[in-house]
Amino acid sequence: MKLLTKASLRYLRQHVMQLVLSVLGVALGVAVVLSIDLATESARTGFRISAETVSGRATHQITSDVAPIDERLLARLRTELGIRESAPVVEGFGSSPLLPGQALRILGIDPFSEGPFRPFVVGGGLGVDVADFVTSRRGIIMSQTMATRAGLAVGDSLPVLVGGQAWSLPVVGTVDPTDALARAGLSDVLLMDIAGAQEVLDLVGGLTRVDLRLPEGAAGEGMEMAIRERLAPGASLLAAGTRTDAMGGMIDAFDVNLTALSLLALIFGMFLIYNAVTFSVVQRRQLLGRLRAIGVTRPEILRLILWEAAWIGTAGAALGVVSGLVLARGLVRLVTRTINDLYFSVSVESVPVEPVLLVKAAALGVGATLLAALPPALEAAGANPRVAALRSVIESRARRMVPRAAALGVLSVAVGWLVLEFSSRSLAVSFAGLFFVIAGLALVTPAGALILVRISRPLLEAVGGTLGLIASRGVVSALSRTAPAIAALVVAVSVTVGLGVMIQSFRGTLERWLDGTLRADIYVSLPGATATRAAGTLWPDLLDTFVAHPDVVGHSTYRGVDLLEEVGGYRLVALDLDPRGEQAFDFMEGDAAGIMQRFTAAEGVIVSEPFAFRRGSSRGDLVTIPTPAGEQSLEVLGVFYDYGSDQGAVMMTRALYDRFFDDPGVTSLALFVGPGVDSEAVVRDLLGQVSAGRTVIARTNDSLRTASLEVFDRTFRVTAVLRFLAFIVAFVGVLSALMALELERSRELGVMRAWGLTPGQLWRLVLTQTGLMGLVSGVLAVPMGIVLSIVMIFVVNKRAFGWTLQMQIGPEILLQAVGLALVGALTAGIYPAWRMARTRPALALRGE
Amino acid sequence: MRAIGALAMLAAVGCGAPEGGETLQARLSLVETLAGTDTVGYARALEPRAFDFPVDHGPHPAFRTEWWYVTGNLTSEAGREFGFQFTIFRNALSPTAPESPSAWATNQAYMGHFTVTDVEGRRFYAYERFARGAVGLAGAQAEPLRVWLEDWTLEAAAPQAFPLRLEARDDDVALRLDLAAGKPSVLQGDRGLSQKGPEPGNASYYYAHTRLPASGTLAVGGDTLRVTGTAWLDREWSTSALSEGQVGWDWFALQLDDGWDLMIYRLRRADGSADALSDGVLVDPDGVRVPLDWGADVTMEPTGSWTSPIDGAVYPSGWHITVPGRGWDLTVEPRLSNQELDVSFRYWEGAVAVGGVGEGGAVVAGSGYVELTGYAGEPTRP
Repeated sequence: MKLLTKASLRYLRQHVMQLVLSVLGVALGVAVVLSIDLATESARTGFRISAETVSGRATHQITSDVAPIDERLLARLRTELGIRESAPVVEGFGSSPLLPGQALRILGIDPFSEGPFRPFVVGGGLGVDVADFVTSRRGIIMSQTMATRAGLAVGDSLPVLVGGQAWSLPVVGTVDPTDALARAGLSDVLLMDIAGAQEVLDLVGGLTRVDLRLPEGAAGEGMEMAIRERLAPGASLLAAGTRTDAMGGMIDAFDVNLTALSLLALIFGMFLIYNAVTFSVVQRRQLLGRLRAIGVTRPEILRLILWEAAWIGTAGAALGVVSGLVLARGLVRLVTRTINDLYFSVSVESVPVEPVLLVKAAALGVGATLLAALPPALEAAGANPRVAALRSVIESRARRMVPRAAALGVLSVAVGWLVLEFSSRSLAVSFAGLFFVIAGLALVTPAGALILVRISRPLLEAVGGTLGLIASRGVVSALSRTAPAIAALVVAVSVTVGLGVMIQSFRGTLERWLDGTLRADIYVSLPGATATRAAGTLWPDLLDTFVAHPDVVGHSTYRGVDLLEEVGGYRLVALDLDPRGEQAFDFMEGDAAGIMQRFTAAEGVIVSEPFAFRRGSSRGDLVTIPTPAGEQSLEVLGVFYDYGSDQGAVMMTRALYDRFFDDPGVTSLALFVGPGVDSEAVVRDLLGQVSAGRTVIARTNDSLRTASLEVFDRTFRVTAVLRFLAFIVAFVGVLSALMALELERSRELGVMRAWGLTPGQLWRLVLTQTGLMGLVSGVLAVPMGIVLSIVMIFVVNKRAFGWTLQMQIGPEILLQAVGLALVGALTAGIYPAWRMARTRPALALRGE
Repeated sequence: MRAIGALAMLAAVGCGAPEGGETLQARLSLVETLAGTDTVGYARALEPRAFDFPVDHGPHPAFRTEWWYVTGNLTSEAGREFGFQFTIFRNALSPTAPESPSAWATNQAYMGHFTVTDVEGRRFYAYERFARGAVGLAGAQAEPLRVWLEDWTLEAAAPQAFPLRLEARDDDVALRLDLAAGKPSVLQGDRGLSQKGPEPGNASYYYAHTRLPASGTLAVGGDTLRVTGTAWLDREWSTSALSEGQVGWDWFALQLDDGWDLMIYRLRRADGSADALSDGVLVDPDGVRVPLDWGADVTMEPTGSWTSPIDGAVYPSGWHITVPGRGWDLTVEPRLSNQELDVSFRYWEGAVAVGGVGEGGAVVAGSGYVELTGYAGEPTRP
């Protein structure tokens, strides 16, 4: 065994570069997986902690999405039911110019009810006279951290914008919890007395929710029943955490997508390891054959190879964990930004170093390394000592393997396809199917490469003469080494192609959708907590003023109410449509004019594609909508394409809405101006009429379109980063494989040099060869990438978000793919060419 | 003299975390709060005023503190003895109500204490509640009289206030009493102005109904009993009361079987001596008020002590009270030694039995309530 260790160490020492690149490959894979894991986990934890902090020790909550809860309910609960542990909460979001980029959670509470609920309210160094808190009009308590960041002290005022209305909120106290969890939970909270919160959040008379502590067992169940009897329609009594879970569930699909992408990076890392280990085995055939000949057993060989892999894996994992922690800090900002843009407000103060995640990522790294090393290790152990040393045996076997691999690949693709076809809606299973497809395509690669190389031979001969031929034949004759390298490069490039096409298709679809949907000339809304959903209520007087503008010839109003159910959330929209805006909907099926006619006649609702997908509902079905007038079953008149929200939307006419809701508010307003009128000028005009202290966002059609696409681009920045990282991993893999391949040919090249190959010719030879491999990989990657994008667009995205995207393939993505592969491959040739050109032929010939 | 309410209220809101030592440290120091709060903007009790009933049964929100304080001794049909305390404290958090469109906006906060002493069962039940005087949670009104904190209520059955209906429940203890006016109201101190500190304004407006025949039901320990007895209503409102150097008080409300009632309080100074502003009054069977001069007309000496199991605080327990000019010589014994309220502000308030020599040298018995403050430290639970 000592001999084996020595042999192993000696080999590794002689191939340091290879070793370093292998470690790097694992490290990158682990880093990407870990950082994505940490980033999404931080976002989730941040969300959960603040949800738990603000709901405190409640066991149950009364909530209502359809209308605020009548504030008089609390006294009824206390006096009629004797439910003393009940606390009213008024909650909403705002922002402050002193705290840019942070959504502020305004939490209105009644300190007299708080005792059993939120210890930070009544303890934890509140340092505030409760009398001041209750009687100072709109006074706030904020965390010391936030106060410091805003540069405020007790006695100052924090300027806050809520639903477009500016407020100046006096800071009556700061809280500095010693408990880290409470600190995290309070990081975005402005604590107000409930009276002030009602005023600022425009919720006078209503409550956002009532927190309860109910006893367990029969007594509690009895109370639950009694409470339910007293609830208004649309209000519900839920166990605490139910809502938090439902809300957290909104980002599941987003999360799974990111995780899958990060796993992709790890799989590239595995390719890399497979490559490196295979290569190290191939290179040591002779040595291993000799070792077997002198009596080293097969298990010992197996152990030797795996042991090496384990060390590489461990080193890579360690490095990966460290860099993953660093990377996570950057990614978490992108991830939380996206969640804030699309789903709900979440603030993440720091990335917690979660030991479980670190261990998981490290184990994944080591495990993947061992798994990748297993096939070559088995092969090394299984080799017959007599023939092991014969290169020709290996290569001829490799060539025999090509059709078999291709067959296996086709099978794997087929399996993947079947999985995708029949896995119904599970996102995780879909990704498993996707991985089967990728693996299958990788297995087909060598066959594809052989064919391409053969096709290109006459061309190479014509261009490069004998050298061209040598280069071409070199790829084929060393197939055992070139095939894995090409496969790795193809997979990496095809994934970037797939992702690129998917993003491009998505963007293109969105653009077309925006063009169709944004019919009005000017859009007016309030600054809200999330970028994609208008929130709040426009001031009625402002509405009147805007509509009365002489250049405005028509208008549509929009009222959005977010409903959260256990199966997911959606937005209920009340539309008062100007006839000009009626063609804004593109229906999946049915006659649009007919649908809109029935819609306008308030015969039912229209639902967005994601909503229909999630609920499995289609045209003609009934949907049940909770309203203050009780649940309403309404017919789905049509399903329209919608890319505004993956949570789905249900739209009804304003008239229908008013029948069920006592809510005259308008969330946003669309204005049509007369022909030839400059919308920009009208916008300036309208904004000039907004009184001081109010902020509205009025945008022209164009600028809303631009803003929407900006949000889209921001959303996909994480994906773009992952795409880039995945490519880096692949690039490193190819670099290491090709470099090793060329270095291994030192002897062969030495012979050629001795025969008179000039250094210049050698450069050409090496670069032609690697370039050929790059080109072949790039060309193979294009159709594979398109296949992947088809899966991502039509299966994964549909299942994750429920929307249909129109595929769109830009030539630049394809050229980029070929270019990337070529550049990567050429880069890989530089070092070996440089080294070989510098080495005296005699030295090269001496061999090891 | 039950200014405890004002102190306790401010304290209690500042604590209230049911567990966890750390958070509790931040409880507001009431004494600091009280001492540091100025009285500017509040109405003051500066001179005697004309009382106007039933209006004055209702709230006086311009003053900082006010309470409706009912105590009494009850007997079941089977002869079981009980004591009860039902108090609703009103506290103004600021001189004026904050301007706001919200119904929650108020400067009025309410605190309630409800206790039942089960003499035979040797049990003392004590409950505390808080609510803001808004959105129906708590409040007070004069006509018809209604003072409530959630489902604890004291309300008039008729426009002229009496009879009153008292209702309170918590856990499985519930009390429902009808209170009749056995005697007219008595104005304490100087025509209802009760001076507590030497400074002008450190005083309260104070009247009492010293004898309210009571009947109703009491649910306790799984039994629901018909009870009858005698209650006492104290009404007091003020903006500031205690002066520097005053650390607490011993307050007695005794009802003798011959129809006489006695109320005395001793304001204690830090050195243990009685403050000169300690005071007392006798009420004859017809409701006629007989003032007592603390130094000359009445003596009060503890005869024993009781140590709180919570922290070893020592309270007097058992007293000897004399009114030498009238030949009164009374012993007062707690019906249960542990009637300490471990609420936001710890104090002892409990039912007592009285015996000895009363008016005209006759042997009398009686019952009453005693309140002892300033003996214990911080509460151990909110």
